Amino acid sequence: MRRTRIDGRRRGPGRARRVSGVALALAAGRSRARDSTRAARAWWIAGAAVLMMAITVQPFRDPDVWWHLALGRLIVEHGIPPHEPFSFLTAANPWIHQQWLYEVGLFRTFSAGSFGPGLASLGMGAVAVMAIVVAALSVPRSARVSGTWLAFAMVLSGLVMGEVVGVRGQVVTLLGTSILLLVITRWREGSSRAVWVLPPTFLLWANLHAGFVVGLIVLAVALAAASPLAPNGRLARRPLLAAAIVSLGATLVNPAGLAIYQYVGETFANPTLTSAITEWLSPDFHNVWVRLFEAEVVLMVILWAIGGGPARFDLLLAGVAVAATLQAQRNVSLYALIAAPQIAAYGVRAWRAHAQPRLVRAGVRAPRALHPLAAATAVLAIGAAVAAGAVVPNITPSATRAFEAARYPRGPANYVAAHLMGQRLYSIDTWGGYLAYRFPSDRMVFLYGETGVFGDRDLQLYEDVHLLASNWTDVLRRYSISHAVIPLHSQEASAFHAIGWTVACFDAASDAVVMSAGSATSPPPVLDAPAGAPRC
Amino acid sequence: MASLSARAAGLRSLLDRVTTPGGLFVTAVLGVAALPVTNVIRDPDFWWHLRAGQLILQRHSLVGTDPFTYTVATHHWTMHEWLTEVGFALMHQVGGLGLIVLALSALTWAGILCIFLRARLRRPPMFVLGVGLLIGVVAGYPIWGPRAQMITFTLSCLLLLIIERHLHRGGRIAWLLVPMFVVWSNLHSGFIMGLGFIAVVLVAEVVGATLGLPDAAPRERVRTLGLVLLACTAASMVNPNGPGILLYAFQTQGSAAQQSLIAEWHSPDFHDWEVKAFELMLLTLVAMVVTNRRLRARDAALLLVTTALALQSVRHIALFVAAATPMWIDQANLLVRRVRARPRRARPLPPLTVRTVAYAAVVSVVAALYLASRLAPSVATTEASSRYATDFPVCAAQWLASSSRPLRIFNQYGEGGYLAYALSSRGDRVYVFGDAALMGDALLYQYADVESVQPDWDVIIQRSGADIVLFDRDTPLANVMARSADWMKVYEDRLNVAFVPAAKHAELHLPPASAAFTRSPTCAAHASTAVAAAPGGPGG
Repeated sequence: MRRTRIDGRRRGPGRARRVSGVALALAAGRSRARDSTRAARAWWIAGAAVLMMAITVQPFRDPDVWWHLALGRLIVEHGIPPHEPFSFLTAANPWIHQQWLYEVGLFRTFSAGSFGPGLASLGMGAVAVMAIVVAALSVPRSARVSGTWLAFAMVLSGLVMGEVVGVRGQVVTLLGTSILLLVITRWREGSSRAVWVLPPTFLLWANLHAGFVVGLIVLAVALAAASPLAPNGRLARRPLLAAAIVSLGATLVNPAGLAIYQYVGETFANPTLTSAITEWLSPDFHNVWVRLFEAEVVLMVILWAIGGGPARFDLLLAGVAVAATLQAQRNVSLYALIAAPQIAAYGVRAWRAHAQPRLVRAGVRAPRALHPLAAATAVLAIGAAVAAGAVVPNITPSATRAFEAARYPRGPANYVAAHLMGQRLYSIDTWGGYLAYRFPSDRMVFLYGETGVFGDRDLQLYEDVHLLASNWTDVLRRYSISHAVIPLHSQEASAFHAIGWTVACFDAASDAVVMSAGSATSPPPVLDAPAGAPRC
Repeated sequence: MASLSARAAGLRSLLDRVTTPGGLFVTAVLGVAALPVTNVIRDPDFWWHLRAGQLILQRHSLVGTDPFTYTVATHHWTMHEWLTEVGFALMHQVGGLGLIVLALSALTWAGILCIFLRARLRRPPMFVLGVGLLIGVVAGYPIWGPRAQMITFTLSCLLLLIIERHLHRGGRIAWLLVPMFVVWSNLHSGFIMGLGFIAVVLVAEVVGATLGLPDAAPRERVRTLGLVLLACTAASMVNPNGPGILLYAFQTQGSAAQQSLIAEWHSPDFHDWEVKAFELMLLTLVAMVVTNRRLRARDAALLLVTTALALQSVRHIALFVAAATPMWIDQANLLVRRVRARPRRARPLPPLTVRTVAYAAVVSVVAALYLASRLAPSVATTEASSRYATDFPVCAAQWLASSSRPLRIFNQYGEGGYLAYALSSRGDRVYVFGDAALMGDALLYQYADVESVQPDWDVIIQRSGADIVLFDRDTPLANVMARSADWMKVYEDRLNVAFVPAAKHAELHLPPASAAFTRSPTCAAHASTAVAAAPGGPGG
């Protein structure tokens, strides 16, 4: 700090005390400014996080939630099953309990009274928000990213991943990945100790969701390509390598052990899965949500270009995430998570390099930070609006029941429970999980979303019926399937009708029918809102 | 004498350049590029275009309403590719399908040549130029083939070359675009993309100049380009449909039915290996752009627009290749220069004679490979061949042609064009064919309901007044009809299967299935014994 001359004479000790007082005041002022900036940043992040709850708190949109609940119930009541427990098909691959801990936690929450389903939605929504917050906080400290940019990046990424969050195990992988990104940033800043968060993280992660493999890939990329952010410019790779090896070992601490990697390999290598299951397909760029992903990628590339160019690690990580998303649209959430800190960091850099100087030259002053009380009030107001408008309507018992009735074949399942217990049922794959939840014993279910276990052969059997291949009736005959729970407006419904199946009951809420192989020689002429069919 | 020696010197200089290893490589790449763009006709829409051209020549006027369907016969038909259709018909008269294949292949290759010439303006090393061209050609693999869309591809490449030459060197070359658009708007409705490209470049240059970005084109040339755009827009209206052709071109983009139901309007499937090259080209281009951080405003704008188009619809990968390949080459050149700190010392080359002989050898080998493996087989393949019978309902059409009266055929969308070509002259009519704008969204949605076997599928067929249903084997509809008591299978070959309502079979007096198989050896090879075994089927 420069010493100021007060009266033109060199300062004596008394004068030094007065100078240090000024210096102290200046330092205090800077400290208050720093605190004020930090507080403003925190309020921006809090506001964005609260806003994102409107996106992430969702009812049970992912149909896989039901078979996870069924498994969670089974594990709580009887322990981890040794074999696939619900289907009458013989699973091609070994039974791997790759999400047992998630399933137990989900079931415990779900069964906590009538608010259980709502709590599960709220909890998983909070986990998704936490993931984005942690990812946003993984921006390098040296980048001095403002709260506005962090909030913007968080909300944008939240919107992009909105279609693939909710009550699903993949959200756990998002949280794990965000923790990993934070640890890697701290390690790049010189904190070698931070890496030892990873082994317990991976230990938990491997028992919660098989997506921990993504974390291992990110670690590998970091080891190969990360550059230092530390002032001294040195990066100690050995601690991260050691932590990575220990983490790899920690992933084996799960009920399936090494077989969990076999499960992951079989899932990715299954050609029918990657060509038949919607979320494993390439994105459809006619969809407005996918266009949002496209826009975020374009924004990130532009910010890279005008923000001084991306670091090798950032380029590689985002490139892999984009390629993974083009391969399977379910990976869009991972991309959005990885993009959030990069958009914030490079956005600020680009802003300071290009926009800020122009504004300063034009005499435009930066807006003053909100008073903490005002900021708190704003966040509370946003929170109240989000809670009232988006969160509460999704989590009340009546809302969750209504959603279940509309989205899943609850009515037809009630009919089956009353009239067709023990019978083998054909259903579309997105309803198989629900039926597994409703009928956990007697092996009544054809197939559900645990595709890594069923393997290509069983998936192909399902496709043969679902897509009405030339042998579709052979499949029904071979497995003695004479009842089906299917959407009324499905090709299966038309096909079963054409071979003489009749509608046993119709559920208007879910637009679903129970159909049974009939003895009628000529079926009713038209299958459309079957008049006269009893309600389920 | 002086001019002769000047010409000789020029020729020697040219030989000296092209016979370098880089020149040899680029020549080989240009030759190899002809392979994937040469093929037999695979585009299902080709056939109705050919038939439409034949009708125009017969009537000496455009056809005002659709002559092929029994469903939309009253709809006004905007013949937006009439000149192409007449061209197809004339070439078919003179040289059959082979001449059309040759012409379209040459046209597509000319487009690739324009890409090469545009990339060469920035003087990249030959090796980088060759690699970039190769990547572009491979990236375009999902859409290469003799089809009308290649007209838009080639003219887009030419347009971008002319624009680049104009912005780079000035002069009056840009005005060549005006007569080009007069022809383009009568050849293919993709001319609207050409107008879009000029507009995108204009806007990018104006914005770039305003923001003070480097490499901006001189203002005068940008102004000229603006005038050229206006003139080209006016020139586009010189066609039988007048200014309405501009709106027509947007109809497809704005049609939800077309965008969702027609395969080539779908987004690329990145599980398909043919699309992987496009993905690789796109990702590497982006990586190079952000690493080099040197991209002209117009290139950035073209890259953004063509990427968005290609991700929206796989058919637009051709436009991406047209716009982005020279950029890829330019960025690769910048990257190589950054990585290679010191320029390499040029190694001494062999004598010109030796190089010329080597060059001639390479060209001969590539040409022989192209002629033997692609051009000759593609040109020689006739309509009656097994190759076409595998892709199109050739045998089914022959069978239907032997029926005693014209029929109303409920057909598969992709086969309507061929059936219209083969059968419309004898009065048979199809349900739907590939002019989706003519069909209209309502009909397309109804067709989709039948194809995906929705609950009302048989009602739609009955209400349409169809006499017979002709679909591909092993489709959901065919597999359901095969098990339905209301439908009787009356024909089957390796590609198609036909059903009639069981109650109407007797009154239709259809020929025996064997009628098709005895007409040609091709169809005899395509025979299926399944019909003979079908209960109550006419059999052989």
